[in-house]
Amino acid sequence: MITQTAPATPRASAPSSPVHQRRRRKPSLYRTLSRVLIMLIVIVQVYPLAWLFVTSLRTEHDFATGDPFALPSSLTWENYARAFETGDLGRNILNSFIVTMGANILIVLFGMMAAYAIQVLGFRLSKLVRGLFLIGIIVPVQIALVPLFIDYSAVNLLDTYQSMIIPLAGFALPMSIYLFSSFFEYIPRETYEAASLDGAGPYRIFGLITLPLSLNTVVTVVLVNSIFIWNDFIFANTFVLSEDLKTIPLGLQNYIGAMGKVDWTATFAAVCVTITPLLLVFLVLNKAMIQGLESGANKG
Amino acid sequence: MLPNRSRTSVLVFLLPPLLLYCAAVLFPILQSLFLSFFSWNGISDMEFVGLANYVRMLTADDIFWRSFFNALIYLAICLVLQLGGALVVASLLTSLRRGRELIKTLYLLPAVISTVAIAFLFLRIYSIDPVGLLNQLLHWVGLGSFERAWLSDVNTVLAAVSAPEGWRFTGLYMLIIYAALIAVPKELEEAAVLDGASKWTLFTKIRFPYIRPVWITTTIMATTYGLRGFDIPYLMTNGGPGQSSELLTTYMYKTAFTSTDFGYASTISVFIVIECLVAVGLILFMLKRKAD
Repeated sequence: MITQTAPATPRASAPSSPVHQRRRRKPSLYRTLSRVLIMLIVIVQVYPLAWLFVTSLRTEHDFATGDPFALPSSLTWENYARAFETGDLGRNILNSFIVTMGANILIVLFGMMAAYAIQVLGFRLSKLVRGLFLIGIIVPVQIALVPLFIDYSAVNLLDTYQSMIIPLAGFALPMSIYLFSSFFEYIPRETYEAASLDGAGPYRIFGLITLPLSLNTVVTVVLVNSIFIWNDFIFANTFVLSEDLKTIPLGLQNYIGAMGKVDWTATFAAVCVTITPLLLVFLVLNKAMIQGLESGANKG
Repeated sequence: MLPNRSRTSVLVFLLPPLLLYCAAVLFPILQSLFLSFFSWNGISDMEFVGLANYVRMLTADDIFWRSFFNALIYLAICLVLQLGGALVVASLLTSLRRGRELIKTLYLLPAVISTVAIAFLFLRIYSIDPVGLLNQLLHWVGLGSFERAWLSDVNTVLAAVSAPEGWRFTGLYMLIIYAALIAVPKELEEAAVLDGASKWTLFTKIRFPYIRPVWITTTIMATTYGLRGFDIPYLMTNGGPGQSSELLTTYMYKTAFTSTDFGYASTISVFIVIECLVAVGLILFMLKRKAD
């Protein structure tokens, strides 16, 4: 499968000058090309978001008539004022925050507990239980919508924070258990044995050894899950109706006015406001978040 | 196993997570399976219909098959953009000396944005009046004849709703593949370069075989995420015009919550689960076998 005619220099031969030159020049040409390509791809990834922000500062007239690539003729914050008038953005952000916190607490605590039971304590059917949890990684979330809708209406849980938190946490639990288990493997058995000899029971070992050691994994799990939970649309859209409980993705939908008419500049202003919290967290903690995302799959 | 553990302590740690997981995931799966044998609109009495829903789905429902093939095309577009794009960018990135961290961050940026915001954004990118980014770009490079209302044209709408999903998560897979690529031992690569291996040989013979386990994981991730894709098509076109951008997931959702046909909707969701399991099985079978 060699498409490029590589200089078949035997390793033993001393590097003659043309080979030497080629070796130096070729990588640099390759590097220039790859730089250009990377720049192009990065522009494709980032430009739409920058455009979104610039548009939120355009006047309505400018947006409706102007060239979309052109810089705005004048900047205005009016769209932001209208965005806050149309929807209850503060409320939406607060709700998203509550749901994200609630789900994350369950995911971290329960993930850690299950991993501890499976990996550290051990029991006869632990392989089976681990397998059961793994199903949740593959299964699409849509399967739960109809059953949960029926169950929720039976126990009056429709239109509550819990109705969003339960499935969000449940479907994220397998990955969390998996990450914690792979971390617990690295804690040496001797640590536990020494603690046991000192008379510590499983609860104290969990609280004094396992929990404090896994703080890094906690950060990983929280960051990775927060992206998905903060932006969840499908569970919120299915289970929540009242304005008071709407999270950001649902709140944004309010900007589609009657008859499908959309106040685009105000909508983009609202989008900018709502992505800011997570974006700030992401930019501040991007090292930790990137590490988390990388480790998630590379351990597998 | 911990020496001092008791049966109770195992239960204390295991039961709460297991209960949550059963309530949110396992029990609903069984419930869907159960409901798929019934006809029920949520109000009247449930009526046992045996396999009738499955027969209807597989033999008499054109929309189902249309959605199924649409979902496969959607998946294909997502996989090419996500995995193909990720592999290319990750490989290019390893040859870069500076700015890797910055590019990783920028590339991942769309993954942080909610699907509703992305749907809004792409509605404007595809729009024709006022002229959106894509049409304007085509006009500039002299491909003005391709300008169109991408989301109303039945020939382009499916690709148009698939692309944003691919765009959104390519950064995520790039990170994972990049982390695997830089873990390839330098000695291996250097030895190959000394032996005169070209970039391409280096990639196919050294790097790719080395990252194959990670490639399998990412392929499974991207495929299962692609098969559950819902938000963006639902928000941008709601499956239309006609059924030209209907996916199995959006069709299931509408059957359940617009037509309130809970039984038939459950039949479709059972199919989606089976489809995911088959897909994962196929990927493992094909990629694992090649490795041997």
